[in-house]
Amino acid sequence: MDNKLSILVVDDELSVRDSLSNWFIEDGYSVDTAEDAKVALKKIEAFHFHIILVDIKLPGMDGLELNRRIKSINEDTIVIIMTAFASVDSAVQALKDGAYDYVCKPFDPDAVTHIIRNASNTIQLSRENLSLQDRIKSLVNVEDIIGQSEGILNVLEQVRVVAQTDSTVIINGDSGTGKELIAKAIHMNSSRRFFPMVTVHCGAIAENLMESELFGHERGAFTGAQYARKGKFEMADGATLFLDEISTISMKMQIELLRVLETRRFTRVGGNREFKSDFRVICATNRDLNSMVKAGEFREDLYYRFNVFSIDIPPLRERTEDIKLLSEHFVKLYADQMNKGTKFIGKRAAKSLKNYAFPGNVRELENLIERAIVIGTGDTVQLKDLPFDHNISKPSWESIKDMEHHHIESILQKYDWNISKSARALGVDRVTLYSKIRKYKIEKVG
Amino acid sequence: MSLIRIIPLQFSGVEELDKILPMITRRFKMETTLSLQHLDLTPFFNPVRSQYDANKLILKLAPMVLEQEKVIGITDLDLYIPVLSYIFGQAYLGGSVALVSGHRLENSRYGLPHDSKLFSDRLLKCVLHELGHTFGLRHCLKPGCVMVSTTYVEELDQKSDNFCRNCQSELAIANA
Repeated sequence: MDNKLSILVVDDELSVRDSLSNWFIEDGYSVDTAEDAKVALKKIEAFHFHIILVDIKLPGMDGLELNRRIKSINEDTIVIIMTAFASVDSAVQALKDGAYDYVCKPFDPDAVTHIIRNASNTIQLSRENLSLQDRIKSLVNVEDIIGQSEGILNVLEQVRVVAQTDSTVIINGDSGTGKELIAKAIHMNSSRRFFPMVTVHCGAIAENLMESELFGHERGAFTGAQYARKGKFEMADGATLFLDEISTISMKMQIELLRVLETRRFTRVGGNREFKSDFRVICATNRDLNSMVKAGEFREDLYYRFNVFSIDIPPLRERTEDIKLLSEHFVKLYADQMNKGTKFIGKRAAKSLKNYAFPGNVRELENLIERAIVIGTGDTVQLKDLPFDHNISKPSWESIKDMEHHHIESILQKYDWNISKSARALGVDRVTLYSKIRKYKIEKVG
Repeated sequence: MSLIRIIPLQFSGVEELDKILPMITRRFKMETTLSLQHLDLTPFFNPVRSQYDANKLILKLAPMVLEQEKVIGITDLDLYIPVLSYIFGQAYLGGSVALVSGHRLENSRYGLPHDSKLFSDRLLKCVLHELGHTFGLRHCLKPGCVMVSTTYVEELDQKSDNFCRNCQSELAIANA
């Protein structure tokens, strides 16, 4: 975007147009002039002016009407009305119609400098505001979450639905499935997105610090509490509180948490003052809270308070069709970050990725790709760039036949389809190996 | 050889000009001379505003400019342009002619004791500023630079009588 602001001066007096345009040009603005409303409107339709100075008395259409027309073309344009002392009432009318300000002719140089400076600041702030809003929207866009499997599409649909509400959400999923990303997506698509998402990694905070972490503490509340400190509940006022690994909190803390969730009121550790905080809770767990309730490890009342809306993120092994998309996404991401020319994934590497069970889910896939980009050369991720020992293929085959098929295939890949070496490794002769290749229709890929 | 010519126009403090001439020469690295000549300014007087029209006056000065020369008129008269209630000076951006008024630079105008040193400093800053415009310099945002836009005397007093580095480089390019 061009940072130089453009100004249009609309006045029927040539001397006024010339004086003002010289004045603004000296200040570094891009300036154009128009002698009446008709010429001005033509210029406004052809070019976007940031600031328009309009004389209230113009031949033909007057300045008031021109102001209204300008506002109907572009509401954001700043219109400053120039008027004589006698027509201040009309200038006030112009303000009611959306004009930014008015100046009385002849202007005090200081007054006009200030009005233009203020208008420039307003434009600058508005630009910054728009750009920040765009950045916030783009932080976690539901459409940007990678995946086309039915499982992930269901999750995204649930995110869309629940984001519009203030309901408590519980996100279930194995480690590395992207629970925090889903929580961010809910937050960023909710009306609370302009406030931060305050995250508490419950599993990472020592039991004795949890209370002060969540509730905050007053000065002198305990040894070492030299200053009063806000807790996460207080920090999340107006925002979203994300409680990760909620299954790890103690029974005592569960009682405290339940009370705050019911009243949204709390006191800091060592204090008497009661605070009220308006936060939305999203929590995540990789354990089955329902079973924990049955086993008496998690309070039933707290579970029901959390379990208003539940989202289950499927593990990567149950949505193998997403592996290709995710891999390509991470290749692009890390190749750009590391300034490498890697663009593709070789067929053998892709096949191995698809066959792998990914116990560490998307996080593991991401790490594999990052590592491959670091050690790889050329524009393609090869099988050798992946840390597969070729014995980590998906262990879900049930028949001996399937196992034999995949074992032969992986040995062939390991020895780069060198039949003699592969046969030796398998403990069979070359003829047997050829017949097995034909039998299982194994083809060389990559 | 290019030079700067100062023409006093109904200006009572010609001796003040002698003080600022060397500084103008130093700043622009051009010879600066004083040219005393009579010009009838009554046609530029506006009885409604009791001020003198700077736009018309500057047009009168324009034909007096010789080749490779910048001319600046300095006057005690109160100058205006139609849209502004007053001006300290006026110049054509990248042109050859400029105008400065000392009318609002005098301390006594603001109920304060006369201060000839302050007046001389303010006058020098206005002359350097308007001449700067004739060399193509626009208003500068660097605090202290003489090309910072000023609309009242307190602001004038806050800036220096020197060009910032950027403005100096632009001046050097314009002079080359």
